[in-house]
Formats: sequence, structure tokens, C-alpha cells
Amino acid sequence: MSIRDKLQDFKRRLSDRKMYSIVVVLIAAVALWGIYQYKHAANLRQELDNQYNRAFYEVVGYVNNVETLLAKSMVSTTTSKTATTLQEAWRQANLAQTNLGQLPVTQPVLASTSKFLTQVGDMSYALNAQNIRGKQLSDSQYKTVEQLYKYSSSLNKSLRDLQTDLSSGRLKWGELASKGTKLFSKTKPGDMMKKIQSVGTVFQDYPTLIYDGPFSDHMTSAQPKGLDGNNLNSEQAKDKVRKFLGADKISSIKDAGKNDQGPIKTFSYTVTEKNAPKGRTINIGVTQKGGSIDWMLNNRPVKDKKLDMNKAKKMGIDFLKTKGFDNMIDTYYLVQDNVATINYAYKQQNVVVYPDLIKLKVALDNGEIVGWEANSYLSNHTTRKIPTPKVTMADARKKINSKMKVNSSGLAIIPTNYKKELFCYEFKGRLNNSDFIVYINAETGNEEDILMIVNTPNGVLTM
Amino acid sequence: MSRNKNSTMIMTVTLLCVFVFSMSDILIHSGSVYAANSSVSDVQLLARAINGEARGEPYEGQVAVGAVILNRTKNSSFPNTIAGVIYQPGAFTAVDDGQINVPIDPQSTVVKAAQDALNGWDPTNGAIYYWNPATATSSWIWSRKVVYKVGKHYFGI
Repeated sequence: MSIRDKLQDFKRRLSDRKMYSIVVVLIAAVALWGIYQYKHAANLRQELDNQYNRAFYEVVGYVNNVETLLAKSMVSTTTSKTATTLQEAWRQANLAQTNLGQLPVTQPVLASTSKFLTQVGDMSYALNAQNIRGKQLSDSQYKTVEQLYKYSSSLNKSLRDLQTDLSSGRLKWGELASKGTKLFSKTKPGDMMKKIQSVGTVFQDYPTLIYDGPFSDHMTSAQPKGLDGNNLNSEQAKDKVRKFLGADKISSIKDAGKNDQGPIKTFSYTVTEKNAPKGRTINIGVTQKGGSIDWMLNNRPVKDKKLDMNKAKKMGIDFLKTKGFDNMIDTYYLVQDNVATINYAYKQQNVVVYPDLIKLKVALDNGEIVGWEANSYLSNHTTRKIPTPKVTMADARKKINSKMKVNSSGLAIIPTNYKKELFCYEFKGRLNNSDFIVYINAETGNEEDILMIVNTPNGVLTM
Repeated sequence: MSRNKNSTMIMTVTLLCVFVFSMSDILIHSGSVYAANSSVSDVQLLARAINGEARGEPYEGQVAVGAVILNRTKNSSFPNTIAGVIYQPGAFTAVDDGQINVPIDPQSTVVKAAQDALNGWDPTNGAIYYWNPATATSSWIWSRKVVYKVGKHYFGI
């Protein structure tokens, strides 16, 4: 039947009274359904819009508070008052940051605003900790706070301008978020994006902040301490890979990238072993300086478990020794899919140096090392000058909750969020059926950190 | 005879349309409910994100995607929680189109990859972006420096 015939047939049938009513009912049903769907979608859009607005107004509110609190902290004269003010600023900056992440704008647009809030929060936190211990702000710290205050006021001003545009209906979140409905939008999505981007431009000349927080610029670009030797080219680095994995086992080494950013610069390779099944490779990262192995992953499936943990730990230590890492002791482990991930820390004299950490994955079928991660070791390792403790072990012991049953104790160097290392007494013990590790500063006697050990079915790790 | 056949056909098609549309509505709903569940642990959430973004990728590519998410939590320009990073609007296509809710195949290596990433393995050595050069639509992404290539993905800083 040709299309023409079909159309005529259809027309004929439409004129049939019964058929006619059926079609009318159907059209009405579809129309009703469509209206319902449209309304439903509109409701959802509205709900989203409300959420975006809520997040935005909260950001405005919190940034406003941050500004006020920074101003207050500059005025306050007592350390305890400064501490509480900065603590509040830290909290408010965090909340602003959380809500900022809920706005329907992509990350690059708000990157600098987000960075600013994180750093304000961090610095407040660091200064707060210092003030709680009764130390006043130094002149340079005061200047940093002053600078941040100025930036928060200009951020506040651009946010208020944006708020005016939003509340007068010149801008709509929905139009920014749903790319699909450009047809019905009154403003170009580009306009909104530009306005929001301009909030970020305040920070284009935002300077490098000097303070001891985890996100401070001079800290994140810190020079790795554990690397020495010359800069290698890719061929020399490949030789290091052959030496590490055993040249006789390797069938080919393929380039996977070169990372020149960040403190540890690396080459990455994909290595195929001889007789390896199709698709199975070993992946490895080598530092450009000195050619140390930064990380290694071998995704060989491990079918069964033949070794116990003591044997596995010993095999890890032996492997480390053959690679030139002596004086490493195991600290924690985790077992998953018949592979044990074991942490090894460096031990200098009788002090466990936790920042110098190497993680190994040991296959529990034959003891093969199927993973290597030495980033923290390479960043931090150096021979440290270990002072004589100013606090005696007995005095440190007295600082611990008398209810805790201490099972072992020793000296340790622990890392902190602020990239400073602390020389501490380490006490491992039990309280209320949970294992705890308490760190008491060996020089000041302060209680520095309390860790709780969680026994998971897979192994033992700290939280 | 042919008349009847045609009319039934029209009706079936219409009914099918109605059915499919209403189904898609239900699907969207169940998806958003699933995504709103925030009680899942870090490993699970990270594994789901890797599953959505890189299930067909080589193992180290899956670890690398997990590492990028974790690197973002440590970067001051991004949210500082795993959930914050994963659900940041426009950050991951798998979240925007609901791929993150695809069930994890029991044979899949994504959970293992998530665990390795959480344990500190980072094949990218600090990358905070990745993209598929064949499908990337943003020209901005090409201003990033490529530091690692695996499978279909480029990783950059």
C-alpha cells in the first residue's frame, strides 16, 4: 500500500464516528499527560532553583560573617578571645565552601573563590590553635589577617551585586544549570556565567599566602627531602624500571606520561611482562630526579591465600632490603582480595619515623610484591637530628587517662596537617574494648594526637 | 480487516509512548533517590564514581580516576569531601547523566581500584583533571597540561 493510499484509508477511518471519538479521547489523554509532565518538570525546576538560591544566599551570609569575624580578630587583645573568633571564622569559611560547591557552576569559574575560602578557614584554624596555647598573633600573622580581611570585603561586595541581580530576576540559576532550555531563556547563559566569573576575578592578584596550613602555597610546593641524584632522561629512567622489576622478566616498556608539575616530578611507564596474558600490565612511576620508584601497581588477580601475615610482613621487609631500604618496620596492614597492603615506617635509632612511609602490596599466594607506594617516603625522608627528650617517659605516662591500659610505649616522630613533624612518646593501649594510640610531645608534654584503631574484618588500620 | 489492524497499531504505538514516557519519569525519580543516599562509605561512593566514569578502562586507569577525585579533596580550589567533589555540578558526566547509579558488576575491579586509591596509590602523581580526548567538548580542558595517559583518558593538572 502506498503512503497516499494509507493516508486516504486513515481519513476514511477518521470519518467513522466510533474511531473519531477514540482518537479524540486519545489526543485529550496525551494532552493531559503532557500538561501533567510539564507541570511536574516545572515543579522540579523550581525546587532546584530554590536549592540553588538557598546555597547562594548561605554563601553570601557566611562570607559576610567571615569578614566581620576577621575584623573582630584584629581588634581583640586577649588571646582566648582571638582564638574563639578565629575558630568561628574557620567554621563559617568551611560552611561557605560547602554551599559554594552546591551552586550550578562548573569548577573553573569558582576556583579562586573556593581557594580563598579554604585558605581563610585553614589559616584561622592554625592561628586559633596557636592562640589557645596563649601565644599572640605575630606582626606578620596580623598582616596576613589584615590582607585576608580586605579580600573578604571585596568578595562580599561582588556577591552582593550578584545578589541584587538575582533577586530582581535579571539572572536565573535554572537557565545556567539546564543547558537544554536555551529556547525559553530570557538571558543568555553566558551572561550569568560572566557575572559569576567576575566574582572570582577579585582574586586574580590574590597573593601567595605565607602561613603553616596544609593548603598554603609555600607548603604544597615544598621540595621533596628524600630525593637525591641527577635528573634522568626517559631512557635512564627505563633502566631503573628494568633494575627494579628484573630485566629478564620484561618484554616491553611503554611511555605513559611525564609529570613536571608538583614537588615530585615523574615519568610513568606501562610494562608488559614476558608470558603475560593479554591486557595484563605493570604500571610504574619513576622520579625524574635520581630515578627512585615512586609507585608501582601490578593488577595480577590473586586467587588464593597461602601465606600468613607474619610471613608476608617478613617478605615485605626482605624486599625493601634488596631495594636498599634498611631499618623499615611494619606498622599497619590491610588484607583485601588475598593481597595484603602493609605500611612500613623508617626507624632511626629507637624512634619510629611515621612520615617516612612506604606501602607494599604483598600477594598472599606466592609473596610477590604487587604494589609499591613511596610518595611520603620520598617527600619526607632525611636523617633527622633527634633531640634528647625534655620530658621523661614516666612524666609523659602520667598525662594519659588513668583508665587506659597501656600495652606498649616508645618514641616516634609523627607528621601533622601543618607539615611540621612532632617528636613524641607513643603509647598504645586499650580503653572500653577499643585500641588507642596516644601521642605526648616529648619536648613540651602536650597531648598532641589520639588515634583510635579500628579492627576491620580485613586487617588492622588506624583512623 | 486491514482497518482494524491499523487502528490497533496506532493505539499500541500511543500506549507504548505513554508507557515509555511515564517509565522514564519513574526511572529519573528512583535515580535521584539513590543518589541522595549519603550513608554509603567512602570506598563505596568512590567505587561507584569509578564505575560510572571508567568501568571499561584498564585497572590503573580506574585507580587514576579515583586518585583524581581524592586529589581534588586535597586541593583548595575544590570541595574538601569525597561526596562534595563527586557531586559538584558539572564536574563528572557520569554524575550528571546518572551513570554513577549503574550497579557494580561483581567481577569488576572498581572496588579494588577505589581501595588502592584510598590507600594512597596515585598513577597520575597529583592530577586534578581528566578527559577523553575523543569526546571532550570543552576547549578549556586543553589548556591543562597532560601528565598521564591511560586507556581512553588523558590526565592533567
